[in-house]
Amino acid sequence: MRAALEVAEDPTLDVAILTKVHPLRSHSGAAQGGIAASLNNSSDEDSWDLHMYDTVKGGDYLVDQNAAEILSREAPENIFELEHMGCAFSRYDDGRIAQRRFGGHTEPRAVYAADRTGHALLTVLFEQLLKRGVKVYSEWYALDLIVKDDVCQGLVVYDILSGQLETIAARGVMFATGGYGRAFRVTTNAFASTGDGVVMAYRAGVPLQDMEFVQFHPTGLQGSGILLSEAARGEGAHLVNSEGDRFMERYAAGRMELAPRDIVARAEQTEIDEGRGVTDLKDSVFMDLRPIGEERIRYALPSVMHLAKDFAGIDSLKEPVPIQPTAHYSMGGIPSDVDGQVRYKDRDDKPVVGFYAAGECSCVSVHGANRLGTNSLLEAVVFGRRTGRSIREQVGDLEPTRVTEDDMKRAVAEIARFRDGDGTERVGAIRSDLRDLMTEKCGVFRADAQLTECLNEVKDLQGRFGSAAIDDRGTTFNTDLLDAIELGHMLEFSELIVTGALARQESRGGHARHDFPTRDDEKWFKHTLAYRDEDAPRLEYSEVNMVPAYRDPYPLEERKY
Amino acid sequence: MPQQTFRLQRHDPVENRSYEQEFTTDVQPGQTVLDALNDIRWDQDGTLSLRMSCRHAICGSCAMKVNGSSMLACKTQVSAAQSRAGVDGVITVGPMGNQTVIKDLVVDVDGFMDKFEQARTWLEPPEGQEPPTREYRQAKENFDHWAHASTCIHCGACYSDCTVAEVDDKFLGPAALAKAYRFVMDDRDSTKDERLKMLSGMEGGIWDCTRCYMCVQACPKDVLPMDAIIELRTEAIAAGHVNNNGSRHSKAFAGGVKKRGRLDEATLVPLSLGFSPTAIPAVLSYTPGAIRLLRSRKLIEAAKRHAAPKQARREIKRLFEQVQDEKQHHDLDAESFAALHEEANKTH
Repeated sequence: MRAALEVAEDPTLDVAILTKVHPLRSHSGAAQGGIAASLNNSSDEDSWDLHMYDTVKGGDYLVDQNAAEILSREAPENIFELEHMGCAFSRYDDGRIAQRRFGGHTEPRAVYAADRTGHALLTVLFEQLLKRGVKVYSEWYALDLIVKDDVCQGLVVYDILSGQLETIAARGVMFATGGYGRAFRVTTNAFASTGDGVVMAYRAGVPLQDMEFVQFHPTGLQGSGILLSEAARGEGAHLVNSEGDRFMERYAAGRMELAPRDIVARAEQTEIDEGRGVTDLKDSVFMDLRPIGEERIRYALPSVMHLAKDFAGIDSLKEPVPIQPTAHYSMGGIPSDVDGQVRYKDRDDKPVVGFYAAGECSCVSVHGANRLGTNSLLEAVVFGRRTGRSIREQVGDLEPTRVTEDDMKRAVAEIARFRDGDGTERVGAIRSDLRDLMTEKCGVFRADAQLTECLNEVKDLQGRFGSAAIDDRGTTFNTDLLDAIELGHMLEFSELIVTGALARQESRGGHARHDFPTRDDEKWFKHTLAYRDEDAPRLEYSEVNMVPAYRDPYPLEERKY
Repeated sequence: MPQQTFRLQRHDPVENRSYEQEFTTDVQPGQTVLDALNDIRWDQDGTLSLRMSCRHAICGSCAMKVNGSSMLACKTQVSAAQSRAGVDGVITVGPMGNQTVIKDLVVDVDGFMDKFEQARTWLEPPEGQEPPTREYRQAKENFDHWAHASTCIHCGACYSDCTVAEVDDKFLGPAALAKAYRFVMDDRDSTKDERLKMLSGMEGGIWDCTRCYMCVQACPKDVLPMDAIIELRTEAIAAGHVNNNGSRHSKAFAGGVKKRGRLDEATLVPLSLGFSPTAIPAVLSYTPGAIRLLRSRKLIEAAKRHAAPKQARREIKRLFEQVQDEKQHHDLDAESFAALHEEANKTH
């Protein structure tokens, strides 16, 4: 939406948003805690340099430093712009935007709207779309990206309401299709977060970058994995094991509960694995909100309080909440540059002309091996705006596109296979097995034997998917068909997560190997690129960018908090 | 594992036929209605269609009727729905109301979404004026006053249960009006007066709400749409937008009660419609009803214009004074708040 607003600045361009759910239903709305910017409203010490440093270190140095520099430098102007659009940010008594602490950030730089910051941003951008009259194709599903001779031509799309397939010719296509956390049993992700965009790009010949890096958020509600914002810890909540011990003391004494997410998630998992878990299942630890105080919880954390009540029946004002690590954010994705241009990063940095990506589906990479809280909304806004600008400036000069009926062949066959086929495997059963498998064998901690098993089992599931069937043979709002298509995407990218994880013999950020417990900069200070080959994905590697424009790069250091 | 039966109101778009179908599924403690519906879809009948996405009660996709009331399926525990099930213990689930059903639990939300555009729900900053280099200073009191209305997730539950939308599809409805309220109250907006004028004068605007409270009950967030609509009315009258039936009705209603201690039905209609040539067609439109009332002798009773007993009139007068006092107190608060705000802007 942020990009579309930029493109719409040029009235000669015909811009539209196409989305499988209404734009207001996007998963950005579920982001709770905040959006980072060094506004210095609650500190005198903050600067973009410091924000950049925190981001690079938080990402365990697998961060492209030119991108992290842009992210942190452009953060304040983006926040002010959103505020001028009418965003409902929480305030201080004197009318300035309020800011609070967040994990991995040295200074209090999370700008927030209570604990519904993503919702506030999503809403204000949609309001601006309405004001500008930008066309929206709501509940249209993109099935294929059409790329010919490294030039993007358009999309194959499916109208969910009517069941019709169409092609859209476009000189510029931008993906803002979100993450791929839905492949895990315990996840914060929406049903919609099925990695459709990354798989479409992959099938069109674009490599996918750093797919093995999945962030496990430390505070998912036990069982469902529903997100309880990091803002709770930012406001002062404690993490406690079955012995009543604030265990973060032993893992990151300097930052305690506000260490970066990968570190807190591993600490929790270690406590659980070593038998200090809580509840009958011993599969979780407690988050105790009571130190924050009732009045402040009600004012600053209403969603956290309601989620604990509505989804677990727990009154967080009176008792601690059992929580566990939950698959949350996809650091990997479509390799794009700081202007959203998608590139085959290993082949002389060659662009896929006319194809752009930003947000969670992309890998710029500003998050490296682990994203800091409040940097994802910021990434979406900063790089959404930049991408919109580059589309506005570039697409006018591109050649008209070539799209034919033939481009729909694969999609036609895929739909026919499910809708008219006579398979016996139920989609729901395969998906359930995949999600159990990924959480169990490719979760917070990984190791060679488990990953090898996991890869084989993913391939088995891909085999079973070959004879998958659906019940709904109709054309109108056939959600059964969409479930099947999405499972196809999940099976395809899951193989890349596991393949990348198996190959990467080190521990870095969100990727932790029991058998290779330390970071190995000599061998693995590089991005993974997975290409689609006939039988199995082929892995290549590319360099990490160490060339920021306005300062010296931050050298690699041991990551301690 | 305990089992639960659901009676689903389904719709087949090909045959254009609505029907009911029962499914029984295992339920675990802590399971939501959405979880149960998904179990039905994935294990028993994949042809069942519904919308869903975040399962965090924030995306607004899965509003539907559970036991006849609109709510988010993802936020509703099966155990809670059980306690409101019929005597047979069956939980009924159906599509939202006041919108056309497309298939099963999926309704056409386009009309509902268009209301936000009609209500012009976006910020209008001062025209021809550069925004400040940093943020607009917005007093915390101002933000806190309307922030609840900005929590709307556009799920449509309020619109689905709205008793006015049921009979009038022009009504903007609770969600769009609550959102309009949020911009009327936001001190960054420069068009408060135009907004109030539009919302009080237009067909389907703030005066069409019947104050039934269904929207407040249905809202899964803290939006309080009806309270927002009532506050918009107060704001509109205070800003002098009184040349409309709604505000005249409100004034005539209160005026009658204040004077006679009870509703003065004889004067209510003419006072509400106003004394202008343009009101003549509207006045005439009430004639058939008036004739029916006359026949049943009800109009005669109204025309006698009984006053309430003296003691009751005194009590009512006292109540009016009390409300007036509280309002003045409130206005004083608003004044000191405005001063504070001005001060904050100066220091900016």
